[in-house]
Amino acid sequence: MYPFIKQCIPVAQLALVCALFGYGLWHAKAPHVAPFAVTDAQETLPAEPPSFASYFASSTFHRHVHSSSISPLPDGGLIAAWFAGSREGASDVNIRAARFDPQTQSWGQEFNLISRETTEHLLQRNIRKLGNPVIALAPDNRLWLFYVSVSLGGWAGSAINTMYSDDNGDNWSEPRRLITSPFFNISTLVRNPPVFHQDGSIGLPVYHEFLGKFAEYLYLDSKGQIIDKFRISSGDHSLQPSIVPLDADSAVALLRNAGMSHGKVLASFTSDRGETWSDHVAVAPWNPNSAVAAVSEGDVDGGILVALNDLQDGRFRLALYHTDETLESWRSVAVMDESPSGEERVEMEPYMATLQASYMDVALEQRETPAHLEELENELRARACRHGLTCEFKYEYPTLIRAPNGFFHMVYSWNNTLIKHVVFNRAWVEGKS
Amino acid sequence: MSSGELFGHLTFAVLLFLLLPVARLSPAYRIVLVLTALALAFLPVKGLSLGDYTRSYTDDLAITTLTWLVWSVLARTTGRARTASRHHFQLAVFFGAMALVLYPATLGMTSLDPYRLGFSPLPLLAVMWLACLWLWWQKNHLAIILMCAATFAWLLSVKVSDNYWDYLIDPVLGIYCLGYLLGRAVQARKARVRTAGDAVPL
Repeated sequence: MYPFIKQCIPVAQLALVCALFGYGLWHAKAPHVAPFAVTDAQETLPAEPPSFASYFASSTFHRHVHSSSISPLPDGGLIAAWFAGSREGASDVNIRAARFDPQTQSWGQEFNLISRETTEHLLQRNIRKLGNPVIALAPDNRLWLFYVSVSLGGWAGSAINTMYSDDNGDNWSEPRRLITSPFFNISTLVRNPPVFHQDGSIGLPVYHEFLGKFAEYLYLDSKGQIIDKFRISSGDHSLQPSIVPLDADSAVALLRNAGMSHGKVLASFTSDRGETWSDHVAVAPWNPNSAVAAVSEGDVDGGILVALNDLQDGRFRLALYHTDETLESWRSVAVMDESPSGEERVEMEPYMATLQASYMDVALEQRETPAHLEELENELRARACRHGLTCEFKYEYPTLIRAPNGFFHMVYSWNNTLIKHVVFNRAWVEGKS
Repeated sequence: MSSGELFGHLTFAVLLFLLLPVARLSPAYRIVLVLTALALAFLPVKGLSLGDYTRSYTDDLAITTLTWLVWSVLARTTGRARTASRHHFQLAVFFGAMALVLYPATLGMTSLDPYRLGFSPLPLLAVMWLACLWLWWQKNHLAIILMCAATFAWLLSVKVSDNYWDYLIDPVLGIYCLGYLLGRAVQARKARVRTAGDAVPL
């Protein structure tokens, strides 16, 4: 009996291999990417006056406040998320958030959305630090949060986690890690908001910075499971893609130029819903290795608004540009914030005077008493002036979205001390031409 | 406990056991040692168990790696189920080649991304099926067990990842196989040099 069983083993093994792999081949689905969900373009300007307002979304001073993201909510409000702590990469950095009330037209008190400790506890794995969050509302009104965490090393050791809320951010699911790399699942970061496809699937722009610095398009189903992944760029100098769908099949990705120095904004195009992307090319504006944000203007001409530091070096000026879908014609719309002297570093006295005035302007526009002026001054002195008598202006990491009511919202790091929010409409953009 | 946590604890236990010198212990003591290592994996340190720390730094190991590790523990505990040197070499070549194809390209050294093939793995499954048939022809039973375990686990979505590659290989397995092949190559070269030295008349 035993020799007979021994003789049967190879046959059983072959049968097992054929059955498993045969079923696997039958079970495996061919990838299909749905068309982009693009909203109907407006042929004419809505009959409304130019509108522009600015606020601070954050309300607590932390030593380092950075990388904000903003999303509309179904009730007409907004939610913004960013990271804040004693310094970038510190273990006390948490993902913070605040809501904008459409009735009172003001930001509420900021709160902890998720902490490093909670992430560690819920994922049951050691987490050293948290990084960039991205918040976005899906067409099914599910609010998504994607955020970076690191278990080992620097940002090259990053992985992306995701959570969702089905009640406008009141309650959230437990975080889940997205597995995006076979090498210890490291080196994938997120920075700019996702775009959505017509079947509810999610196109999340991500980037790597380990052996190379390149961008990818992570394609997830409406439940957040990864369906596929496509390369946007290759090499070692393109990061943080910002995707703008142009029609159902085509889109453009604007990329941060992480090259050595004096680079221009990079761009790549797709005409097959994100599956393949053209070789990236440099476009007109300068990019001092800093984040770029872009959004469709929603008009029939395919206009795109782009927020960026249009400088060769430094991040002391944040500007808004208008371009077309070919990215050949660029027009400066407005400077959102800048160093008054046109230099990155200025002496402490004029620096403090400028920022206090700038802070007061926004606070008064928010109809709030600028009670934190002294606290602000202390924070700025500690963070931006630590090298002596000169202090550094930094207006960076913009996120730009278009809300369902047609208004544009931009959030960005205001000297890494507060998150500034500006809101404007198309009439204001057109009025700036 | 999620499958990832379970695998993390198993990884800690089998790695610890395989690193211990057990040659002078009887099989019964070896089994006790395996169970002790497994119990240690659950020991909490600053809110996380040692098994959780293991998966934090190794990430979730591939099913092939875990199966091979468990197989090695069985072989070491019972003294049976040892792998023939020829079959071990075949496995090292197979997984070493997989690592060389996958990691440099995925991490950005080329514009191609082979990791993508694991999300909708029709071609990858076909290639692995052919490789499995060749390994079966070579009577490499361990290889068949590893590949079947990985494919079965992928069909059941046992891991957090849906990517077939993550069931087939991980960096720990890749580094081990390439290290093994390097060691064999160095040994073979030394043997050749020794043979050539012996052949030279004084």
